[in-house]
Amino acid sequence: MSRQPYKPFFLWRHLNKLRWVTLTIVFAMLVLLPYLHVYQTYVAAHAYDLLPPSEQRLYDVMEALTAPFTDDPAEDLDALKGNTWSGTFWGLKLSDPLAALGQAAAGRTLYWPFLLTALIPIAFTVVFGRFFCGWLCPATFLYELNSNLAAWLRWAGLKLGHRRFDKRIKYVVLAIGVILSAMSGSVLVAAVYPPAIIGREIYYVIALGGFGAGMVFFLGTLLFDLLVARRGFCRYLCPGGALYALLGRYRLVRIRRIVETCNDCAKCNAVCEFDLDPLRDGFGQECNNCAACIAICPTDAMTFVIRPTDYPAQGPGHLGRQYRRAQEAVHAPEAERGEAA
Amino acid sequence: MKRRVLLKNLIAGAAALAASAIPYGLLLLLAPRRAAAERNYLRPPGALKDDATFVAACIGCGLCGEVCPPRCIRFHARDGGGKVNTPYIDPAEKACILCEKCMEVCPTEALTVTPRDQIDMGLAQIDRTACYPWVDRGVCGACVSICPLGEKAIGFEMWNQYRPFIKMGCVGCGLCVEVCPHPSKPIWIVDRTQETVAQHRV
Repeated sequence: MSRQPYKPFFLWRHLNKLRWVTLTIVFAMLVLLPYLHVYQTYVAAHAYDLLPPSEQRLYDVMEALTAPFTDDPAEDLDALKGNTWSGTFWGLKLSDPLAALGQAAAGRTLYWPFLLTALIPIAFTVVFGRFFCGWLCPATFLYELNSNLAAWLRWAGLKLGHRRFDKRIKYVVLAIGVILSAMSGSVLVAAVYPPAIIGREIYYVIALGGFGAGMVFFLGTLLFDLLVARRGFCRYLCPGGALYALLGRYRLVRIRRIVETCNDCAKCNAVCEFDLDPLRDGFGQECNNCAACIAICPTDAMTFVIRPTDYPAQGPGHLGRQYRRAQEAVHAPEAERGEAA
Repeated sequence: MKRRVLLKNLIAGAAALAASAIPYGLLLLLAPRRAAAERNYLRPPGALKDDATFVAACIGCGLCGEVCPPRCIRFHARDGGGKVNTPYIDPAEKACILCEKCMEVCPTEALTVTPRDQIDMGLAQIDRTACYPWVDRGVCGACVSICPLGEKAIGFEMWNQYRPFIKMGCVGCGLCVEVCPHPSKPIWIVDRTQETVAQHRV
């Protein structure tokens, strides 16, 4: 009688776990690389016997970690360097598109060897949208833990703010950041962009022995998220997120609600870190394909589609009460009216 | 009503906090200004010559520091102002060994690969009124023996007394500054337009 409803591929439900794995790996690498660099400097200096015991322990651990992969750590470990703001992976240099934009604005010249390093991230963003924010960003790792903490605190009875602002503020922040970079001649957007701050500060504190200028700012954003607005910085202020959202406006890989199996429970809206509206098909350019709504959907009514624009609003889910009432009103109007009369 | 009381208390608390900071601020204003210790801030080798252009080109990713074997490249903090997060080398603390890794790894035009003899981080200057051999306080030669460029950059004047002098081939890596045993560091790095012989400054 009725057509079998579309079942999403079973792995999509588990993508959110994979996302946590990648976030953890990226963050762990940002912590590991400075230690590896310190180890490299000790190797290059042949300084093992001169080190204090704690540093010797570090040396031993890093030697045990890298010994299976390299005979010459001082040279070979240079293959993997940097952070998500800019890094080098076996000779392939990759940079954040915001770094390219900010530097082009600050220098007012186009230095192609550098701009081309942002090409691969831009290509991925055009296809996958704002995926960096959900899948790679080291600040997201901390921000999501932070919003879990906020959930626990709420559960414990604390009243934390849950304010909403206009999401377009971040595009203004991006524009102002780029203009100020061009006016001041220094890449100012890097100072207010959490993943760049995190990448730098972890290196500073491990290898150079002290936090730099950005840590206070980052802690401020954590407090803002905790006390004022959930994921407030990413939602309303992040200039990099704004750039990624613009680049991913016509992204090909999207999340789609399957209206036939949706029951209007609105868990997707509650779980969405970016305050989007999956329940009413409102994904828009800011969806980062994080798959949290797919993971939480109790009726498997969320899936990926390849499509350059969102589906137009599909109305209430067919398993929900609203749709059922409407159907009943259409199919049995006379009987109900008769009963009422 | 309760909320209003809470707000009032909060504002009063903030005002009290601000007021308690006033004596500290006054002390800061009235205290005699102490001259900051003189430091050499060099850019890493291969840096763009004009510092404003360098700051515009640098994105503050920290890659140059992450490949530096002696870990001599450090980064300006808040006190650097517009230069925040850009790299510097303080040779008195730790000097560059001219390994050229930072130029290769830099993604931007801030550090570009430069042949060793064309690197221009500065020029060493010697204060001949303090350097031990120049004031006949003994034999040293530490700067000459450490110099990675050798005879092109530094040599002995009056060879039997080991008095060092700088030649224009010096690229300003600062290893001589790092090894100088004199507590007041009579050798340091200056801009290339200045002379190789310094005025006495202490």
